[in-house]
Amino acid sequence: MQDFYLIGIFLFVLFLLLGTGVWIGLALLGVAWVGMDLFTLRPAGDAMMTVIWRSGSSWSLTALPMFIWMGEILFRTRLSEDMFKGLAPWMAKLPGGLLHTNVVGCAVFAAVSGSSAATLLTVGKMSVPELRKRHYPERHVIGTLAGAATLGLMIPPSLTLIVYGVSINESITKLFIAGILPGLVLAAFFMIYVALVSRFSRDFHPDVEPPMTFSERVSNSRFLIPVILLILVVIGSMYLGIATATEAAAFGVVGSLILAAAQGSLSWKTFLESLMGATRTSAMITLILSGAAFLSLSMGFTGLPENLAEWINTLGLSKFELLMALLIFYIILGCFLDGISAVVLTVAVVEPMIRHAGIDIIWFGIFIVVVVEMAQITPPVGFNLFVMQGMTNHQMNYIARAAFPMFLIMVLMVFVLIAFPDLATWLPDHMRLGPGG
Amino acid sequence: MRINDERGPVRRSLDTLYDAASVLAAICLFLMLVVIALQMIARWTGTPFPGSTQYAGYLMAASSFLAFAQTLNRGVHIRVTLLFNALGPRSRRLVELWSLLIGTVAVCYLARFAVKMVYWSYKLHDVSQGQDATPMWMAQLPMAIGAVILAICFIDNLLTMFFRGHDNIRSENIEQSHAE
Repeated sequence: MQDFYLIGIFLFVLFLLLGTGVWIGLALLGVAWVGMDLFTLRPAGDAMMTVIWRSGSSWSLTALPMFIWMGEILFRTRLSEDMFKGLAPWMAKLPGGLLHTNVVGCAVFAAVSGSSAATLLTVGKMSVPELRKRHYPERHVIGTLAGAATLGLMIPPSLTLIVYGVSINESITKLFIAGILPGLVLAAFFMIYVALVSRFSRDFHPDVEPPMTFSERVSNSRFLIPVILLILVVIGSMYLGIATATEAAAFGVVGSLILAAAQGSLSWKTFLESLMGATRTSAMITLILSGAAFLSLSMGFTGLPENLAEWINTLGLSKFELLMALLIFYIILGCFLDGISAVVLTVAVVEPMIRHAGIDIIWFGIFIVVVVEMAQITPPVGFNLFVMQGMTNHQMNYIARAAFPMFLIMVLMVFVLIAFPDLATWLPDHMRLGPGG
Repeated sequence: MRINDERGPVRRSLDTLYDAASVLAAICLFLMLVVIALQMIARWTGTPFPGSTQYAGYLMAASSFLAFAQTLNRGVHIRVTLLFNALGPRSRRLVELWSLLIGTVAVCYLARFAVKMVYWSYKLHDVSQGQDATPMWMAQLPMAIGAVILAICFIDNLLTMFFRGHDNIRSENIEQSHAE
């Protein structure tokens, strides 16, 4: 009974602080303090500092700023133009034509970027104006880009998976590798959707591409070599166990700097901009993680997560029913919170539930990423919608409607993951474990 | 304290403080890359580099905390602004004041205990458990400094909001979303 009272207070303070615009990390800190001070006898302040220091200075967390920095460098290169030039000749013949460059471009860039918004910005910088020039229907140009950019979170590297891995103390490398196959399957679903749209949509009359010989296409593919090398170095080194996630990220940063220098787009100014941008973005995430670390500790002391997990256990839900309940819960949460906040906010409570129910914790990481991907394109708070709005000046409602089919595809992806859990667990079970995991 | 439009001496020195801290933070981030690279080279060549993962961790904490203040004023820290946009100017200002007040209290609390932690690490000659054996107060000091600067930044914003009706947060929407 006391637990319901406790949950009530936690939720009330949380929604009050979040709703009135208190910065998310600090709101979590506040809720944690209330829980700790009212319901336990532990001195809150010192315990808070110990746990914030431990989480803030952890080795696994260092992968975060490195991957962010890598994305910041690549965003400032000519990579997006090169990718479009290299991919377009191959896509032109497919049903749906160059609309596929949105999906494939996002999938490729996702393999060097851990963020959905960075993927959207980098791919969209080139593909949106080019597709408009060729009279592709605006609604589909925007919808497929907003949806496919969320692959940035699934295909490794992934900031969401780093945050999830740090929160539950699991190997980030394993989580990354688990995301590869589901990411490719999701990309394939998006491409099938594009093909169907081109067949059945009445306003789909884009300009036809001038024919290109096979050798011309191959020679255009040279533009893809740098990005493919980068992908091989970053993901390959992790999969073969040569490098940890952080070390792979460091490879990535150095590789991106070399790529930028080779293209001539590396100047002192762009270097500093990318470094400062990465510093700020990673500081922003660390503040949320600090608040969440304290909240987990505080909730742990109250015993709430364990009790809740046991209570759920007594309900006798099947795994499927539990996952459906979580799916709906996260979709609603995702309408109002960004993905990272939604993950760190809930993980302390959800993790014991998942373990009790016997669900694989790595698999659940991928499940959560798909759900967070949906959150990126659901109004009123969806980061891809904001970024897209900034880029195209369309109304948010219009963008959200255009992206809605992609939302449904992601829901389908959840069911595919549940039906074929091996998609996420097979690769990590067959990789070589590297130095220190 | 006088806060005027032409960036008086107080405003200017505060902004310089936040910027200087963020430059230090960026240097920490760069050093982190160097440490990680050296660690890999050490492993390949078989040279011992004891405590490399700890050093990277200390730099991580230092970089985050030192950057907090400037990150706030650039509008990069995430918050839910749905309510702000739904309110009229008067009530919006009240809610903004309230959220700044809560933030200030939370951050002052954080800064107080961060300083206390460093103080006790120093008093008790606490040493890292890892192979690096760094005195903990040295590793934790940048965190405490960053937390204090963030507290100053929050108080600064709260006062500016109270007396002038706006804060110092200039948001760059695109940058904020790079994290997701």
